[in-house]
Amino acid sequence: MNLELEHVNSLPAPTWFRLGINEIKIGETIPEIHPYDGRYLSTELPRNVEISAEPLPAPELSTGMGDAVRNFTEDNRTCGVTVRVPDGVKAERPVHLTYRVDEKNPSVLDVTTVVAGENSEVTVVMSYTSAADFPGFHGGLTKLYAGKNAVIRLIQVQMLGDKCLHYDDVGAQCAENGEVSVIQAELGGKSAAAGLKAALKGRKSLLNLNTIYFGDRSRSIDINYLAEHTGRATHSEIHASGALLDESRKTFRGTIDFVRGSKRAVGHESEYSLLFSPKVVNRSAPLILCAEEDVEGQHAASAGKIDSNRLFYLMSRGLSELDARKLLIEAQFRPVTDRIPDPALRDAVSEYVKERLEAIESVS
Amino acid sequence: MNALHKRKTQVEDIDRTVYDIRDRVNASYQVGQGLTAKIVNEISAAKNDPEWMRLFRLKSLQIYNRLRLPGWGPPLDELNMDEIVTYIRPNTQLKAKWNEVPDDIKNTFERLGIPEAERKSLAGVGAQYDSEVVYHNVREEVRRQGVIYTDMESAVRDPEYGPMVKKHFMKLVPPEDHKFVALHGAVWSGGSFVYVPPGVNVEIPLQSYFRLNAPGAGQFEHTLIIVGEGANLHFIEGCSAPKYNVANLHAGCVELYVGKNARLRYSTIENWSKNMFNLNTKRAVVEEGGTIEWVSGSFGSHISNLYPMSILKGEGSRMEFTGITFAGRGQSLDTGAKVVHAAPHTYSSINTKSISKDGGWCTYRSSVSVLPQAYGCKSSVSCESLMLDDRSRSDTIPVMDIRNDDVDVGHEAKIGRISDDAIFYLMSRGISEEDAKAMIVTGFAEPIAKELPVEYAVEMNNLIKLEMEGSIG
Repeated sequence: MNLELEHVNSLPAPTWFRLGINEIKIGETIPEIHPYDGRYLSTELPRNVEISAEPLPAPELSTGMGDAVRNFTEDNRTCGVTVRVPDGVKAERPVHLTYRVDEKNPSVLDVTTVVAGENSEVTVVMSYTSAADFPGFHGGLTKLYAGKNAVIRLIQVQMLGDKCLHYDDVGAQCAENGEVSVIQAELGGKSAAAGLKAALKGRKSLLNLNTIYFGDRSRSIDINYLAEHTGRATHSEIHASGALLDESRKTFRGTIDFVRGSKRAVGHESEYSLLFSPKVVNRSAPLILCAEEDVEGQHAASAGKIDSNRLFYLMSRGLSELDARKLLIEAQFRPVTDRIPDPALRDAVSEYVKERLEAIESVS
Repeated sequence: MNALHKRKTQVEDIDRTVYDIRDRVNASYQVGQGLTAKIVNEISAAKNDPEWMRLFRLKSLQIYNRLRLPGWGPPLDELNMDEIVTYIRPNTQLKAKWNEVPDDIKNTFERLGIPEAERKSLAGVGAQYDSEVVYHNVREEVRRQGVIYTDMESAVRDPEYGPMVKKHFMKLVPPEDHKFVALHGAVWSGGSFVYVPPGVNVEIPLQSYFRLNAPGAGQFEHTLIIVGEGANLHFIEGCSAPKYNVANLHAGCVELYVGKNARLRYSTIENWSKNMFNLNTKRAVVEEGGTIEWVSGSFGSHISNLYPMSILKGEGSRMEFTGITFAGRGQSLDTGAKVVHAAPHTYSSINTKSISKDGGWCTYRSSVSVLPQAYGCKSSVSCESLMLDDRSRSDTIPVMDIRNDDVDVGHEAKIGRISDDAIFYLMSRGISEEDAKAMIVTGFAEPIAKELPVEYAVEMNNLIKLEMEGSIG
């Protein structure tokens, strides 16, 4: 079927159209959609946490990729769960959702809703893989509702093959002192898009978002993050880093939006891109929108080659230039991958990155 | 008891007394309101255009009618072109001596300090009043160096420089670029042409001052500067208008050609009245080893869209942009810069500050583009925004588009308010709260102020002090 979606990953405040960064349009042919065949929910589940396969009629929530993507995913859901964490329950182990795109499940559309009650805590780990060279499709929608003093940790690891299309759309809402911490690893796929919008409504609520991306061959990566500060003393941390090789293309949009009334809010955003080929395309739009005086907002972005001093140091210790560069790419990801709570998944990510790096014969 | 209350002696507006004095409109000729081919032909005939220029105007009008309003930035719905008079000729001819300029116009420029500045510190002055340049003069020693500084109309018709103007006119900023530059192409009038021959160092600045006096009018001056190989020039542009309760429009166009190893500093102090739509376009192309330096202060206008663009075409060329924007009540100032690194080892630096107060809205908008062939280039962007109350707004919208790996590109931005600790520290040293805040804001703007011509820096500091009195806290 044809997937045609417009106004995707839109910048909250558009700029010059000729830069082509305001939004994207998705126009792809995707395989047939049918209910997920197989198990994707881990067998070991946390106690006292309600998990059901039925979608939850949750309150309206904006997501990072926009209405067209959210509606399409909800309308064509093939899998996913609803996780309810009662008040005061701190889940002792993560909820694992492992999705595989292959001939059995050529199109995977998962919708996951996490509702964390007052003073509760839960971790949800999602991973996406595919059969090698399988031209499949994954689209994900994750809705997070963090109640008062609740903590939701979401880890999403995308390790799809080179012929898969992928998007991951997240919406989050935090009540007073609620926290949403997200790790996104966009490592594979032919084209990958990700978006996240967090509505920091409650006083002292927090968004902590760490992302890594890896672009090689002709992969395209398109990211749109938005932290909307409406509550007082809210806090957002958005940090992305990645490496681009070959003819890969990446667009990163990150917005901190201080709405009037969000007094004493703090928002920090950073993005660091390591570039390894004269043919990469690296685009960034780090925005701050501010309608409140009593806030602190900062963003920083940088792009360039590996620091020659670091390279020299490693080479003086006996590494070839290629190995030294590979090591530094891996090091770029480590601070984020080390925070994946599941050792098996952490190792899988590490292996996946290594395999990708092994395929590299030269980097400039 | 009252002493415990924070003093709130709200200053309603920047003290614009000097700028706001309105002269009686005494036009010798003006076209009707709106924009039609008939009006464009009328302007062309009134200006005695060569045929190529008349055709260029008509082509620009067609492009204007075809293009849409921008879908980003401040809303432009309040601007009704059917109510704008695009050409008003003041009741005088171009003069080269101030005492020949009619008294009412001369007095306006006297109040603005232009003749005095010319005597003291300028190599040449051009003064435009509504649609026409009324005064143009350049010092003899500068003229002897071969420097041409004249009004655009004279340059277009000049047998020696006309071909040079034709070769460059709206080639760097083509009318297809956006709607308001197409409008400019159709109805442009006035402005300056500067040519600095290779190797010539113009030691003291040239200045053009643009004054729009008539209500409901537009000003569309065209500035074309060509700085030859190894030459050096500082050009200052000032603009102001009295306030009316109808919309005025400024859609000027500046094209700067900076030759090999040449340097051009282009300073602008824009203090239009707060009924002005300032939709101006400025662009420079820089050859090998050349440097363009922009210094830009935006204080006036109801709405401003202003993003000077630099195309670093030659290897090792450089651009530096230093800008400050101060938006008060009723103002939405959307300013910034654009740079295209189109050659290896090019360098750009953008440093901006903005202050939003009393419901004002500042937007910093920029783009840094690095093309595939521009290896070994560096770019650094820094923008800082200060919010003085919670009725105002400040947005930062930068874009970086990098298309090779041998680059060093950095961007940082900060937004915030005046720190209570800093105020407390200054007050503990015996400084009043008012003065402490004014001192901090002045200090915030100081890195920009020191790049401005001294008389403008002093004026800017005075404006900040006036604005700050009792207005925050």
